Amino acid sequence: MTDQSFEEFLHLSVDLTAFEETELLGTGLAHQYLAKVRAACGGEVVSALLDAHRAARADAADGVGGHDPAVLDRALRHRIFSDDRLGPVARNVIKLWYAGMWYGLPPEWTDCYGARTAAETATVTAASYQEGLLWPAIGANPPGAKAPGYGSWAQPPRIDDRYLRGGAK
Amino acid sequence: MYAKFPDGAARRTDPAAAAEVLYDAVIVGGGIAGAIVASRLGEAGKRVLILEAGPAEDLTLRGYEAYLDRFYSAISKDNQAPYPVVANAPMPRGTDARRIFPGAPDASAYIVQNGPFATDTTYTRVLGGTTMHWEAKTLRMLPEDFRMRTLYGEGADWPLGYEDLAPYYTEAEREIGVSADVEDQAYLGITFDEGYVFPMKGLPLSYLDRMVAGDIDGMPVELDGEKRELRVRPFPQGRNGIPNPAYDGGKGYVPRGAVSTYQVEVGGRCQGNNNCVPICPVQAKYNAGKTLAAALRTGRVDLVAQAVAHKVHVDERTGRVTEIEYRRYDRPDSPGFTTMRARGRLFVLAANAVENPRLMLASGLRSSSGLMGRNFMDHAYLLAWALLPEVAGTFRGTNCTGGITDLRGGRFRRRQAAFSVDIHNDGWGWARGAPMTDLIDLVDAGGRYGESLRQGLVDRVSRQLQLAFMVEVPADPSNRVTVDPAITDSLGNMRPILTYDIPEYTMRGVAYARQLSKRIFARLGAEDHTAYDPAFWGYAVHTGEGYEIRGGNHLAGTHVMGRDPSTSVVNADQRCWDHENLYLVGGGSMPTVGTSNVTLTVAALCLRSVRVMLAQLASETAPIHLTSHGAARGRSPEVAQ
Ligand SMILES: Cc1cc2nc3c(=O)[nH]c(=O)nc-3n(C[C@H](O)[C@H](O)[C@H](O)COP(=O)(O)OP(=O)(O)OC[C@H]3O[C@@H](n4cnc5c(N)ncnc54)[C@H](O)[C@@H]3O)c2cc1C
Ligand code: SF4
Repeated sequence: MTDQSFEEFLHLSVDLTAFEETELLGTGLAHQYLAKVRAACGGEVVSALLDAHRAARADAADGVGGHDPAVLDRALRHRIFSDDRLGPVARNVIKLWYAGMWYGLPPEWTDCYGARTAAETATVTAASYQEGLLWPAIGANPPGAKAPGYGSWAQPPRIDDRYLRGGAK
Repeated sequence: MYAKFPDGAARRTDPAAAAEVLYDAVIVGGGIAGAIVASRLGEAGKRVLILEAGPAEDLTLRGYEAYLDRFYSAISKDNQAPYPVVANAPMPRGTDARRIFPGAPDASAYIVQNGPFATDTTYTRVLGGTTMHWEAKTLRMLPEDFRMRTLYGEGADWPLGYEDLAPYYTEAEREIGVSADVEDQAYLGITFDEGYVFPMKGLPLSYLDRMVAGDIDGMPVELDGEKRELRVRPFPQGRNGIPNPAYDGGKGYVPRGAVSTYQVEVGGRCQGNNNCVPICPVQAKYNAGKTLAAALRTGRVDLVAQAVAHKVHVDERTGRVTEIEYRRYDRPDSPGFTTMRARGRLFVLAANAVENPRLMLASGLRSSSGLMGRNFMDHAYLLAWALLPEVAGTFRGTNCTGGITDLRGGRFRRRQAAFSVDIHNDGWGWARGAPMTDLIDLVDAGGRYGESLRQGLVDRVSRQLQLAFMVEVPADPSNRVTVDPAITDSLGNMRPILTYDIPEYTMRGVAYARQLSKRIFARLGAEDHTAYDPAFWGYAVHTGEGYEIRGGNHLAGTHVMGRDPSTSVVNADQRCWDHENLYLVGGGSMPTVGTSNVTLTVAALCLRSVRVMLAQLASETAPIHLTSHGAARGRSPEVAQ
């Protein structure tokens, strides 16, 4: 596993999850997640996914170090999410970060792209459940861990304002 | 205070040596019922043996953490996920339930389900029993629940009234450590002693509860000509809160923390882990390990684990129980066992309302009333789910802090079942597997990622409201537990066979519950997402409408108590009419379940029975001679009801 692919995996993960790099690193699980995806799908698929992501970012680069979100969104949809091979893997990377679990890929995928190990649903470690991003996303703790304290449930949830406003329907 | 489990207590008793002892009492089952009886008899100086089917290390923090790890790592986080599967003492699992087709019982899991209705009801066979994973709601029954036949012509009357049980409710609230406020809990006839306060103050309602209360408090409802207003009310809870200094005439209350560790680490106040079911990581929630630790500390209580009671032996002439034959398995994962026996002056079956009758029937003891195993009851749960117009921060707090209890009693019970309504802090988890199913759906089908995923999660999950209507089920003799010598588990114990249908009376309550949920959602401006799937294993149709019905895990009725030996199995003291030194304790003794989760009542009944057991032991002081076919003799006292 090269440092560079780890960096790229982090960049990909930031775009897929909308959590910042520091938050992702804070889970302490980024290395294990990359290793999990490799173990499940094979190195080749991971490289292709990272390549496609690099290309998508390049499509959207604004020349001053940032990118245009609308262009990036379109590029990710075209290059990754709609791709038979990469789409299911990318969606699994999202679920891995949010739920701490590798969800088995369907036979259609494993039949075409080998990697039987991808078909098995598995938790990565006992800690990965607790570090799922789903919980901070909804302003809650993972049930059974990281207890927020007596009576905390009577307070309004700690969910970023932009999601409270943005929402409904 | 912390509940120290004495070192080595789970293994200190040698079963061979125990077979030579004539105990004052032999108790089958180390759940809350068995633990309460054992602790009180032990404290009164009696020698007690507990036989526990599950494997038992000492209840140490490490052992408890092994449960937690198993839970964290489990792919399916169902309510048995933390507990080891032991083929020698199998247990039902919620995920076992399958739709049953006429004439084809489902024997794929431990409980053989004969139908017609399939249930996912479960219990746990580990030391501490089902309280290891209960939710710990601790409602008292209503006074009218004890007089259903007289008042409403439905169900049965108890041989006891609320007033008879009230002092034991108080004691049970101390034992379990209940957090609640009297002013919230005195309704529909529930009374408390002058000046009573609960051991700990009530847990605050959740933000979600209060959002619901904002629109529901004051909602008018008219049923059977009676008008009432609904309100969101906190539930009494068997989990540690803030001790009430006024408790016990100003003496206060010291909460019991985790078993075998110091409270500064864990076991203090509930911390809002939202994981009460299946396991509270910090043991803020009561589990029977706390009572067992106290029982074992008396030094007079012995415990043999991996000991599955196999047969109750009775002296044919006197009807008295002479011994309990049990199978002690050597290892949880292999079927080897040794047959052992336990002898005592009294015997107490505390294995729960499925396992007690299972064991009695497997021993050929059907009760001269013929009612052993009959009148099986549980609660029928109907769920209704919706999205609130605003973010409520669902998924925080204990599983449930508040609900609507105004329809637990009233004249309408002549016609239809009463219910209590839970507001679930864990959203649509029970109904639809939220929040994981929402995540998967948003990602896989919704094409969401990044910001739109985060937004989608807040919109879809943090606004979830799930109401759980816990509907009463009246006793019906054809709902029953039976056995068949040909159907056994790996240790050769007959498995329970359950025949169960949801009575019409309950279904009328269910239909009304659904109707009420629509009104509640409309008042809240919530989007109703409730849809009942005809392929669901617990799908039941009533007057053309279909509903998903789930089991309540509140097992009862199978060795019903009464005044008349021809219409009941045990008397008000839970003593068998047929066997004067045998007590069948637990939910099985209850003639009605009303609308309270049963355990507080089970605890109160056990505390009451202990007094009678002590009186019986005192009166039968003559030395007891046991021979292989002779049995102990002695007159038992007439026990006041
Ligand atoms: C998910 C869930 C949530 C619940 N929530 C609540 C709630 O909020 N409030 C409430 O009041 N109740 C609740 N309950 C119900 C509550 O857990 C039970 O009513 C209570 O635990 C019953 O106690 P018991 O001691 O009678 O039986 P159990 O707790 O079932 O204990 C029986 C014991 O006997 C042992 N045993 C069984 N068979 C044998 C045998 N043949 N030989 C030797 N030992 C044997 C078992 O291993 C076990 O230790 C809930 C249950 C579940 C499953
Ligand atoms: S909310 Fe958490 S701390 Fe409180 S009882 Fe439930 S699991 Fe335990």
